[in-house]
Amino acid sequence: MLLRLCFANQTDTDIDKKKQVSVSLHLSLQTQSAPLSTTVTCCTMLKSTFTPMYWFLAPKPKPQKLSSNLIKNTFSNSTPNVRQNSSLKQNPIINPTSAYIHLPFCRKRCHYCDFTIVALGSASTQTHDDPRVINYVQWLCREINATKMEEKPAPLQTVFFGGGTPSLVPPSMVSNVLETLKMKFGLSESAEISMEMDPGTFDYKKMQEMMLLGVNRVSLGVQAFQEKLLKSCGRAHGLEEVHEAIDIVKKCGVENWSIDLIASLPHQTSEMWEESLRLTIEAQPTHVSVYDLQIEQGTKFGKLYVPGEFPLPSETQSADFYKMASKILCDANYNHYEISSYCKNGYECKHNYTYWKNNPFYAFGLGSTSLIGGLRFSRPKKMNEYTKFVQNLENGLINSSSDNNINSKDTATDVVMLSLRTARGLDLKRFQESFGSSLVLSLLELYKPYVESGHVVFLDEQRRTIRIDDTDNSLLYETNSERRVAYMRLSDPNGFLLSNELISLAFGVIDSWKDYPSALQEAT
Amino acid sequence: MAAEICGGSLFLSVKTQQQQQRLFHHSQQRFNSSKPRFSFHSSNSSTFHRRGSSSVFCRVASTDTLSDFDSTARDGQDRLSKVPISNIRNFSIIAHIDHGKSTLADKLLQVTGTVPQREMKEQFLDNMDLERERGITIKLQAARMRYVFENKPYCLNLIDTPGHVDFSYEVSRSLAACEGALLVVDASQGVEAQTLANVYLALDNNLEIIPVLNKIDLPGAEPDRVIKEIEEVIGLDCSNAILCSAKEGIGIMDILNAIVARIPPPPDTSKRPLRALIFDSYYDPYRGVIVYFRVVDGTIKKGDRVFFMASGKVGYLSASIRTVADARVGDTITHHFRKADNSLPGYEEATPMVFCGLFPVDADQFAELRDALEKLQLNDAALKFEPETSSAMGFGFRCGFLGLLHMEIVQERLEREYNLSLITTAPSVVYKVNCVNGDTVECSNPSLLPEPGRRKSIEEPVVKIEMLTPKDYIGPLMELAQERRGQFKEMKFITEIRASLTYELPLAEMVGDFFDQLKSRSKGYASMEYTVIGYRESDLTKLDIQINGECVEPLATIVHRDKAYSVGRALTLKLKELIPRQMFKIPIQACLGAKVIASESLSAIRKDVLAKCYGGDITRKKKLLKKQAEGKKRMKSIGKVDVPQEAFMAVLKLEKEVI
Repeated sequence: MLLRLCFANQTDTDIDKKKQVSVSLHLSLQTQSAPLSTTVTCCTMLKSTFTPMYWFLAPKPKPQKLSSNLIKNTFSNSTPNVRQNSSLKQNPIINPTSAYIHLPFCRKRCHYCDFTIVALGSASTQTHDDPRVINYVQWLCREINATKMEEKPAPLQTVFFGGGTPSLVPPSMVSNVLETLKMKFGLSESAEISMEMDPGTFDYKKMQEMMLLGVNRVSLGVQAFQEKLLKSCGRAHGLEEVHEAIDIVKKCGVENWSIDLIASLPHQTSEMWEESLRLTIEAQPTHVSVYDLQIEQGTKFGKLYVPGEFPLPSETQSADFYKMASKILCDANYNHYEISSYCKNGYECKHNYTYWKNNPFYAFGLGSTSLIGGLRFSRPKKMNEYTKFVQNLENGLINSSSDNNINSKDTATDVVMLSLRTARGLDLKRFQESFGSSLVLSLLELYKPYVESGHVVFLDEQRRTIRIDDTDNSLLYETNSERRVAYMRLSDPNGFLLSNELISLAFGVIDSWKDYPSALQEAT
Repeated sequence: MAAEICGGSLFLSVKTQQQQQRLFHHSQQRFNSSKPRFSFHSSNSSTFHRRGSSSVFCRVASTDTLSDFDSTARDGQDRLSKVPISNIRNFSIIAHIDHGKSTLADKLLQVTGTVPQREMKEQFLDNMDLERERGITIKLQAARMRYVFENKPYCLNLIDTPGHVDFSYEVSRSLAACEGALLVVDASQGVEAQTLANVYLALDNNLEIIPVLNKIDLPGAEPDRVIKEIEEVIGLDCSNAILCSAKEGIGIMDILNAIVARIPPPPDTSKRPLRALIFDSYYDPYRGVIVYFRVVDGTIKKGDRVFFMASGKVGYLSASIRTVADARVGDTITHHFRKADNSLPGYEEATPMVFCGLFPVDADQFAELRDALEKLQLNDAALKFEPETSSAMGFGFRCGFLGLLHMEIVQERLEREYNLSLITTAPSVVYKVNCVNGDTVECSNPSLLPEPGRRKSIEEPVVKIEMLTPKDYIGPLMELAQERRGQFKEMKFITEIRASLTYELPLAEMVGDFFDQLKSRSKGYASMEYTVIGYRESDLTKLDIQINGECVEPLATIVHRDKAYSVGRALTLKLKELIPRQMFKIPIQACLGAKVIASESLSAIRKDVLAKCYGGDITRKKKLLKKQAEGKKRMKSIGKVDVPQEAFMAVLKLEKEVI
């Protein structure tokens, strides 16, 4: 519902112009009546508002809720393409409409965690008077205020409070941050505001307060439904808190919420994993994230365990866990829309889709990474360096965005890497517009054997699977639209399971891609 | 400036037309400097030294006493005047590998003040990175020293030679340019196989041999025993052998004195027409072709117009040899206007014994590889190559080498100095295939072996190998030779405790880890030397390897039929270990013709996914994937399978015990 409203707003007014523009993307964009400062911004705006048109033009009648088909189209939008970037040299920065806020505080560090966090001590469930939190939130707000941007920024469509454990931060401070964001960039009425919350760090009252502030999506860090496993991976909460937290979220009526699980924990058996999946489904969240335990250097697990060796599950077992999740969740009507994400129809995480579409986003806070003007900028991970950074930002000594020309090879790798993580896959038409047909053909050629082996799927415009019976080079130019490859994606679960292998193959192709200047000319 | 070089001098020159102007300028400018860089003006300052950037100083004739190194060295830094032919000594140092040739050469340079103390470093003449790293000499090196003996200045020309079997070709070339040789023998190890081989080479060239016992400072040194050994084994009079320790500087002056006193000067032939024998040349990107030659007859001076008798090219010595091909090693230089009647006997051309395919990992590097090989060849006449195409590997070259070390070194130099990334196929020898129709085909590439139906028989090269070993290891070494299809020829005790074993065995069995095995089975005490003695018919067959059902040409090997099964089994096992798991299951098979004789299968990767919460920070993940992609780049795709470089050498890595 939310989604639909938001899109309708834009499409109602812009539909006519978009029709024109869709004929040729680079025709006189000045005809746009929207308040845009330059042609290029216009182009950008167009991009970000382009999405709904497909939906609007879709011949199917609209049900109340978004159909899955609709969702696919919704995301058929736009990676900012190189043609834009390269013609953007002296142009203003494209303003993001997503913001990530890092709230690094945790009670303690989990054994697998290598994120940028600040451990407060296990007793700290009340943090309203903790000077570390108060100070940090102040710096955070100063960073937001000091960020350079266009005169008329687009209001934010998504805000994501990640951590750390954002739910440890008192609502009053969350409110400060949201207010600052609202003042600085504006915040869409229908914006998706997500917050990562850990069992045992919030009660009914806190949840309600957060909701009143506008938090409308909760990502609940359950990780496992077994007391033993929670303990062994160093979580600060037990099973009881997990059930409590689920009850609170449901009682408060959070419509859009996610349960986050970790697969392949030490000592995890397939019975335990099945139980976790079953209990997850019983809790009826609209979204489930299934992350895979990654043994990172420097973590406690990194010191204790070797991947694939007891007590960690073997590679085969771990693959089975992944397949189990895919099977069980899909049977329960969850769409496997990204390598580690599942959702009920229409409940994709909009904020995460910003990442996967390689769209720009702000990021604020310790160690966070933003993407503005094609530049990925990571903030310092140490508190004193971060505060120095904020001071420099205020004094204009640092600019966390870039207006430099971005290397198109880099952009191409990003687009491939991110989009192949999604079920929607890589939109070849758009990719070709940005990077030329030679690269698309090389990718098609590259993946053909993997279509045969069942790791990759080629889809036509209507997202119907294309069978490849012979080595046919006209896949891209096929006049018969049923035979023309419009998308390529990794299969679920076999392709997803080997995504590193498959994506790194594409990296090789992009790396040896030599004629990109001419390809770009061809594209423009 | 017009320094005249007399007959018998060794020396080097610099050329290329483009460099002429600059060269002249430098000569002018540097004439009085004691840092000669370019050869011609350095000819009368008279030390040569190749490729090194360090400057070289020469010792002047002086009346100082020779009793202490310091004054000797001081003298060495003065400039030098011409010496009469009777005061010239040309000599080489010959020895078994690791008996201390290069250390002794260092010491001689140091003591004569040729290289100032502060610029001295170990293995001064080994200036290739690779030589320094491995502690071996690959290329012969020449240096000119000044030494005063009984108040008379002498000019000593030293050629340092490589010790490894593969490079005996280099040794023979340098010996032909000398009148004498220092035979260096490790005072604890005694006579080794290479000592013998090199001494015989020197005797063939009628050189005066001065036996030197090195490393007498070591606790295990037994000079008396070793002297006896030399006398018995080589038949050389050791009554005036010099005891020295190059490392400690003991006996160095004795050696210098002996060189002057015992090695004859070159014959005075300065009145004859010029004949100079080229014994080495190399290409310097800044200075053009640099030639090392020995003036046998006549004289040569700057500005002379010269004529290369074999190639017929004419050039000015200071200026214009265009390519190294014009100044082939073994050619004779003579005056353009006063030509010699006949050229000097050159050198036998080096015959490559071991062949392998070199393919660029990135097909686009083919042209670069060709250029690099050409440049290396200029410097290394023994390297042979011709283009080769393979369905699996694309375009590359079939290259011939003197031996495995040579092959390894060329490959490493290509990768290092020319920044190429290469795939090397397993080395092979040259087989002679007698066909049914009477033709004889030479085949160094297993994948090009004529079809079984077309061939009548296959002959393989056979070597005579001589191993010297303490008697304790006779058993293990005989076992080794038997395993490698060796035919026992002879065993004799050269002393009470050391024996010499002679075998004839197929060269193909020696290519590979024979030398390593020899060393490991004798705990490092045995040494070996081999010569090719001809071809012999043998029951050989081609062993094919199929990966994922596709025949992989570069992995094919020619093996003796009796060994086919064990090699096949070992090879499939080794490949299974070397090839990374892929996205699908892969059968690896060894076949004789259509018959599969061994089979392994590589299981598929089950899972390789980063399903972790990364937020917007994809940089780390991207880095990881890039690294993964980089790893794939180092591999060759055979059909759908990525095969790493090491796999193509798998046949070499088979543990022979398994076979």
